[in-house]
Amino acid sequence: MAGGQKRIGKELAEVTKDPPEGITVSLVSEADIYNWDIQLEGPEDSPYAGGTFKLLLALPTDYPFKPPTLNFKTKVYHPNVSNDDKGSMCLGMLRSEEWKPSSKISGVLRTARNLLIEPNPDDAVETQIAEQYKSSRKDFDKIARDWTKKYAKA
Amino acid sequence: MSGQRQGFRPPGTVFASSSTLPLAAASRPGVGHPPFSATGVFTSTAPQRHLNFRMPPLQTQTAEALATLQKLSNEYEPEIEGPLVGKRQSSQAITAEYQNADEIFVRKTAVLPQKYSHYRTVKGDGNCGWRAIAFSYFETLHRIGDKGRILEELTRLKSLNNLLNQAGFAEHLYEDFVQETLNLLSEIAYSLPTSSDDAGLLKAFNDPGISSAIITHFRLLTSAWMKTHVEAYQPFLLEDTVEQYCASQIEPYQVEIEHIGMNALIDALILPAGLAVEILYLDRSVGVEVNSHKFERMDASGAPLNPDAPTFRLLYRPGHYDILYKIEDVAALMSSPTNLQVAYATPVTYGTFQPVPVVPVSSDMSTYLEIPGMSTPFVPVTPSAMSPDTYTSPVSPALSTFSTTTLPLRPVGDIGGFRPSKYELEAEFHPSPMPNLPFQTPTFRNSHFNPAHFRNSDFQPEMWKPDTADSGRGHKDDSSRH
Repeated sequence: MAGGQKRIGKELAEVTKDPPEGITVSLVSEADIYNWDIQLEGPEDSPYAGGTFKLLLALPTDYPFKPPTLNFKTKVYHPNVSNDDKGSMCLGMLRSEEWKPSSKISGVLRTARNLLIEPNPDDAVETQIAEQYKSSRKDFDKIARDWTKKYAKA
Repeated sequence: MSGQRQGFRPPGTVFASSSTLPLAAASRPGVGHPPFSATGVFTSTAPQRHLNFRMPPLQTQTAEALATLQKLSNEYEPEIEGPLVGKRQSSQAITAEYQNADEIFVRKTAVLPQKYSHYRTVKGDGNCGWRAIAFSYFETLHRIGDKGRILEELTRLKSLNNLLNQAGFAEHLYEDFVQETLNLLSEIAYSLPTSSDDAGLLKAFNDPGISSAIITHFRLLTSAWMKTHVEAYQPFLLEDTVEQYCASQIEPYQVEIEHIGMNALIDALILPAGLAVEILYLDRSVGVEVNSHKFERMDASGAPLNPDAPTFRLLYRPGHYDILYKIEDVAALMSSPTNLQVAYATPVTYGTFQPVPVVPVSSDMSTYLEIPGMSTPFVPVTPSAMSPDTYTSPVSPALSTFSTTTLPLRPVGDIGGFRPSKYELEAEFHPSPMPNLPFQTPTFRNSHFNPAHFRNSDFQPEMWKPDTADSGRGHKDDSSRH
């Protein structure tokens, strides 16, 4: 859809020119504007600090009327990221019933990074990790740090 | 029944026995469009065909199974079929849809086609209210057929970008949506006066890209309007601020419109365009007819500022909007939107309540309507000039009763010679010119001059039969002559 491509082009230009803190964006392939490579630096004040996480942002062809999806390609220990080969990240604003066509991708990426600083255990995909995050924060932080060391450091 | 609702089953109902699952699906699009089964009750059969999942007894379910259920429930999308905006069709279909429903629905839908001859389905995908208003806005401007007026609207909508900016929307994010609205307006404006059908509009509105962009534009406009008129809307919001309400109910793409959003959309888009909207509510409330509410510009005392404002109509059934048409709107839509020639006939059948104008006849269409009994030469009608798909009879034979009308007529004595009627109008009766009046008299509806009968092969016009019409006197005369 031509309209969607135009919009994606504008947003890509914006994010490239003025990237949100700790985030670098590039296209997976120059010929395909629907799949974005995201490099996300673990925020300082989180157990993910020091790691660099690779994510894939996929835009539907009817973007912006349908939300993009965000997947962690790097394994991460987090209540809102599915602990499987998909690494789906659950952001409220990306649910189809909450998605606004006037939202910006840079806003999505900013929200994603904030979720690393402040997980949302009440809306978790990994209920056991969420349980641990709530009841024994120290253990959670330790595993999250270990995973960061193990998977997110090149 | 309109195809899209037939497939609806509320996704939540499969879990009806479990109160522990906070079903996200309950807030999903489609659920707001309860299925009307033919019996008029909400169908609650479990959607096994969608959810290929056999539920184990609740008590044996593990957390994991519940999570799986929750996930399925979250991801559930009802199957919705049919076009985004359907073709105009006879509203007899609504009557048929409810023929086995409970009495109130049967009664209300039976009389519906008498006033509202046609309707148009709008897809129930979480945007139906928005789509119905948006489509009708364009269609009504097209029906009025005034190029200048459409270009004025184009300018007005362009200038409303200021309102979007004021509400904090970024221009590079909304400009694509606005552009689709402006494109369609100018397309309509420059298609006049040659285009007279709805094909172009239907095509645009069934293009998901264009349709979604226009809806998004109108959502943003509504949101901006509410945010800049907080005092008008805040009193209706119980818990949310206007800002929160817009963020959660107006701007998200798949959230269905609620009453307050409908009000704001009409305030922002429809009334300033000089149009009015009437919403007809088909529900179980007591009454013989559907309830209606007209949204129009009013002065401080509540009197309409422009009672003749072009009006379009929506049919509301709990959770769903479709578009409804009065017969005269359809007649106007069918004829070319060039200058209308209006002729006035002597009211033979109306008498005290309304004079009868001959329906607007356009020069390039041979739709020629006249009143039975007039001496105007009959111009043959070309049925091919009408859209055969849409112009089916709005009159159900069962419904067309021959009501008695009060006429300022008096019988004329036997004056001999030629007499066109045994009745003559009161001398002081003068019809006042009133353009675009509906043809709703039984005499017109049942006459062969009503084009609505063109598709009805079984139609038998009312005919004057000397034997039966005036048999008593006729026979006496006969006998006296012999």
